[in-house]
Amino acid sequence: MTTTYTYSLPIGPIHPALKEPIRVVAEVEGERVVRADVKRGFAHRGIEFMGMKRNAIQTLYLSERICGICSISHPYAFVKAVENAIGMEAPPRAQYIRTIIAELERIHSHILWLGVIAHEMGFDPLLYWTWKGREMVMDLLEYLTGNRVNYAMYMIGGVRRDLNEKKIRAIKENMNYYRQFNQEMKDVFMSDPTYKARTRRVSLLTRKDALELCAVGPTARAAGLRMDIRQDQPYDAYADMDVRAVVPQDITGEVMGDAYDVTLVRLYEIDQSIEIIERCLEDLPPGPILAEPNLIKLLMTIKRSEGEGVGRHEAPRGEVMHYVRFDGTRDGPVAWKVKAPSYNNINIWGRVLVGAEIADIPIAVGYIDPCMCCNDRVAEVRRGGRELPYEEVRRKCREKTMRIKREVMG
Amino acid sequence: MVVEDLKKALGPLLEDVRIQDIPEGSKRRSYQCVWVNIRKEGFLTAVRTLFRYGFPHLGILTGEDMGEDLRLVYIFKVFYEEPREEVTVVFSFHIPKSEPVVPSLTPMIPGASTNEREIREMLGVEFRGLKDKRHLFLPEDWPEGKYPWRKDETNVEDMVKRTR
Repeated sequence: MTTTYTYSLPIGPIHPALKEPIRVVAEVEGERVVRADVKRGFAHRGIEFMGMKRNAIQTLYLSERICGICSISHPYAFVKAVENAIGMEAPPRAQYIRTIIAELERIHSHILWLGVIAHEMGFDPLLYWTWKGREMVMDLLEYLTGNRVNYAMYMIGGVRRDLNEKKIRAIKENMNYYRQFNQEMKDVFMSDPTYKARTRRVSLLTRKDALELCAVGPTARAAGLRMDIRQDQPYDAYADMDVRAVVPQDITGEVMGDAYDVTLVRLYEIDQSIEIIERCLEDLPPGPILAEPNLIKLLMTIKRSEGEGVGRHEAPRGEVMHYVRFDGTRDGPVAWKVKAPSYNNINIWGRVLVGAEIADIPIAVGYIDPCMCCNDRVAEVRRGGRELPYEEVRRKCREKTMRIKREVMG
Repeated sequence: MVVEDLKKALGPLLEDVRIQDIPEGSKRRSYQCVWVNIRKEGFLTAVRTLFRYGFPHLGILTGEDMGEDLRLVYIFKVFYEEPREEVTVVFSFHIPKSEPVVPSLTPMIPGASTNEREIREMLGVEFRGLKDKRHLFLPEDWPEGKYPWRKDETNVEDMVKRTR
């Protein structure tokens, strides 16, 4: 008679792949995961609490520091929420510039993910190659805004920097480069049999699960949900064009909801971003870039305003949503709530990890492109039982890739 | 459509409703945001009403200490997946501090568990029917009866060393 017992496999809080702290505890029986649990909050800094003690413009800069990768998503949702609450509207030119910056950010964020997932599988040359391509858009963002990250570009009621002819030309040249580069990326990712074997049917998410667990962004779209704020409730320059959600059923004709579908969605969204940026540059309206250039006056308007607002933005990882309320006594929000896409998307780990092989855990975790722009209080977690180090898991993941490669390549 | 259905379903439990049109883009095409103030008794009926239009997406669940009582804000979106059709619906209601209990949404929307766990630890609201009552963001050894978002004696002001 054999006794089966399960191993507890902790991943995180220090995650070697993502450089951001979260803890996934997977109960494994042999090679299979039977139960998965997530503990978050290792990065909780109480940013909302700090924001409620600052004025609205300081809070805007604070919101930019929530996420280090998609650093424009939170300011975008925050300025939309404040404008909604105080009834302000950004001038058309500013709306177009905002959209251009947001789409440039989507390009670099998606390329980042493609590199990370390749690295997790053991394709390190692919990581170096994709990230080398990513540098172009980072340089462009630095040229346009002055910084590679934390662009400080948005302001309540507009943007802070205008685009001149030289900058527009630089964006156009960059887009030509990315059209070519994305074609090469598609060739590499979609034609490689090992990549396909390693991602097809890994971390399957059904449409029903995506709905029930409130999944957003590329994660939800890979499960076949046509859910994209740029399509459903278009804002800024998106409202002038017809953006359509990128879903796998339009690309391959079927929905699997696996890691391969997510790769497809992200690759095709880069093409979509290039189109949107070029369309914005074509139609870029003239005019001012700020609804209220005098910031003291802007703060006074906020101080006199009473009301609440919701701001939303389709960030690279999904829906970012901010809620603010002003009570007419202070020039900052009295209530501020931030919801990042990973807040929702981490919900799916509990389901997609069950039944997965240990070697597939890194892919299933990387699948949603998690971004722990949530929260920090240092916590030491001590647990009994047997524990397997993450390096072991990654080694298994890479071995599986090599095994499949040998089988596929013969 | 949403507003009529809510009025019919809630009756006197609906306190007031405001439809906000938000213009966007150079052509100023607008989308709708519906702000609904309800009584706490009508909350589940209001959410069930949204299920008529498909599975509603829960965007934000937040709360605020208003001094006398607590105010909860639920932001849903309906009619998504259709270009330009989506409507944002915001439910808000007050609950007394003496009995901060609301029904949990997890039987209907399992993903709401994350949101409810956060509000539970931050604001001390009890969700009836919520199975997972562990801390979400706060550490597991967080003291009982301390809520960071409260503005009364259960606040954590004495635990905060330096915040400006």
